[in-house]
Amino acid sequence: MRDKATTLYIGPQHPGITGNMMVRVKVEGDTIVKATTEVGYLHRAFEKLQEKRNWLQSFTLMCRFCVPESDPMEESYARAVEAIEGREVPERAKYIRVMVLELARLASFMLWYGGQNGSLGLYTMGQWSVGDRNYILDLFEELTGGRVYHMYIWPGGVRKDLPKGFEQKVLKTMDYLEKRLGDYDDLMFDNAIFKKRTQGVGIVDKEKAIEHGVVGAVLRGCGIKSDIRIDDPYEVYDKLDFEVPTAEGGDIWARALVRRQEARQSIRIIRQVIADMPGGSFYNKIPNPQKWKIPAGDAYVRTESVRGEIGMYIASDGGLYPRRVHLRGAAYVHGITLLEDVLVGENLADISAIMNSLGTCPPEIER
Amino acid sequence: MINDKNSQKIVDIIQNWARKQSIWVLAYGTGCGAIEIPPTMTSRYDAERLGVRGAATPRQADVLLITGYLTTKTLKRVIRVYEQMQDPKYVIGFGSCTINGGMYYDSYNTIKVLDKYLPVDVYINGCMPRPESVLAGFGKLQELIGNGEANGATKYKENLEWYRANQKKIIPNWVMPEYNW
Amino acid sequence: MQQLKANLIEHIKTSFKDAREKDYPNENRLDFYVNKQCIPSILTYAKDRLGYIHLSHIAIVDWLEDGEIELIYIIWSPEEKIKMFVRTRVERENSVMPNIDMIWRQANTYEREFREMYGIQFQGLEGEQDFLLEDWDGPPPMRRDFDTEAYADDTFFHRPGREDAQDVREAITKRSGEEIPDFAKKYSR
Repeated sequence: MRDKATTLYIGPQHPGITGNMMVRVKVEGDTIVKATTEVGYLHRAFEKLQEKRNWLQSFTLMCRFCVPESDPMEESYARAVEAIEGREVPERAKYIRVMVLELARLASFMLWYGGQNGSLGLYTMGQWSVGDRNYILDLFEELTGGRVYHMYIWPGGVRKDLPKGFEQKVLKTMDYLEKRLGDYDDLMFDNAIFKKRTQGVGIVDKEKAIEHGVVGAVLRGCGIKSDIRIDDPYEVYDKLDFEVPTAEGGDIWARALVRRQEARQSIRIIRQVIADMPGGSFYNKIPNPQKWKIPAGDAYVRTESVRGEIGMYIASDGGLYPRRVHLRGAAYVHGITLLEDVLVGENLADISAIMNSLGTCPPEIER
Repeated sequence: MINDKNSQKIVDIIQNWARKQSIWVLAYGTGCGAIEIPPTMTSRYDAERLGVRGAATPRQADVLLITGYLTTKTLKRVIRVYEQMQDPKYVIGFGSCTINGGMYYDSYNTIKVLDKYLPVDVYINGCMPRPESVLAGFGKLQELIGNGEANGATKYKENLEWYRANQKKIIPNWVMPEYNW
Repeated sequence: MQQLKANLIEHIKTSFKDAREKDYPNENRLDFYVNKQCIPSILTYAKDRLGYIHLSHIAIVDWLEDGEIELIYIIWSPEEKIKMFVRTRVERENSVMPNIDMIWRQANTYEREFREMYGIQFQGLEGEQDFLLEDWDGPPPMRRDFDTEAYADDTFFHRPGREDAQDVREAITKRSGEEIPDFAKKYSR
């Protein structure tokens, strides 16, 4: 005899939900038969606010798009504006940008380590990795003045040069983190609970990935080698030597394996960037921001973030204000249609783990 | 049993002292400020040594932490969550956007002044406030509780019509249970 | 790259007569302007025949002065590593766009957002009417003729003192009895 289906509301006030959103699930027993997401709890209308803010004022809104990793947004905005205007960026600024992007990526991985394990009830990892994340935030604080929002990468270069002795501090932190990543592996990937709860759960296969336009680590987790840093290189990624890890299976476990390797690749990139860092200017000065007009045109740039591809479309009508800034985050794809599809047939208790693994980030969806 | 003023005072002091030692925060990340909560709770800043820890449900929580901007859609849920919480309960407004709207001062979807809708006991300013300032905010709240001055919930009960009128002004479709006060 | 792009332009032009292209010689970018009826067929053609399997973005721009809304479908070929922009323009009022969420599922999310934020209808679009907003009875808010600041002033409370423009430096000086150096005085209001 079949059980009667029940509708449950998971969120927005729920400790397992990644951020402020809701998933309405219809369950039979504890198996999900239908999932519907409801978003909009974080809609601040950035893209509307930009109509009344000039090109430099809009830049301060950029980092607030997504909280765990704010630098790719700034970088996309800067690069798109430079593409429309044709502004040159000094070589040193490009290297600094890559360093900041990779540090932000690493910090975001640390948060993911904590979130993914916390969603399965393994709270030790959160204490370790979120605690270690503070060392990266300390570096950011010294470089930019802010822990979370940096507002550092702006059109024309970066805001300030590296402080004295900063490179050594970064290298020292990288040595420490590399050691810690080994500890994390022992705690996470040797853990029987983690294996049992993640293998074969939340499967995204290749067909589904193409159908839904999946990007980033989720795509690499089903065996497709794809990374914007290689495919459509920006800044100086084409001069750097790094690998794009992939894994087979498409479940949470495979995505965890991919991210585990990627964190190490980030450390490798940071070391290379510091070794190759050229001297010279770090900033191609923009004119008076209150009179700064960008010629008419449009640009679309793509950046690889932890969650996947970020796209930024900017249109200018030749005026003081952006005509349109339209962001597309990875969570915009993963967090709604893909999540609704993947959750069907899964266990109720795995919702949180699947959301963490797909990189659902509501502020990026709603903007 | 206790009916004279002085013994009531002594009971209050003991009660307040006990209440301030354990502050359970509702795990509801309403805005981007939620990103500084994991560092505050984990090893480096370790808020638990001050008696601050997370609670999963409104019924067990003492503090509603409003982490940042509130959209009108979230405000509806936050009011409902606040009314489900049991006394004693406190509200902390976290970040510039709860104080005066911050950088979203002209957004059509976020409220600007939180204390028109909910009784705020402590504000923590900054965008984003550092874990140290979050801890300082909790310290301030403990001080207020200890002195018996954190009486936001009483204020809310006594002026419920005023708060309701403000809330209903931006939430036209009011389908919420009336809780028994 | 140039050879590849020329080939692609020829392919598209032979199948779709009214496509107008714009050249960006230094970028890995193709740019076509088509009629709105062509959108599903050109996207299907690009996906199935030319290998543009990834829908990267659907951007939308409101050109209030022209009375038109522009939609830009940006697709990407992982093999040829070229971005293709497929643009179309529709009237601002009572426009109906063809729906493409059977080609890429994630287009459903974009279309629901555009329906709510710009008031564009899509043929046979599934999903609830409310996407980001709740109980909204004004005009579609992302349109340029909607004034968000006036709406916010009408609807929400503002904390007084936001406009009073107090000089923080002077306030601090008064409190602590510290002198402002002469060179800094010219920056004070």
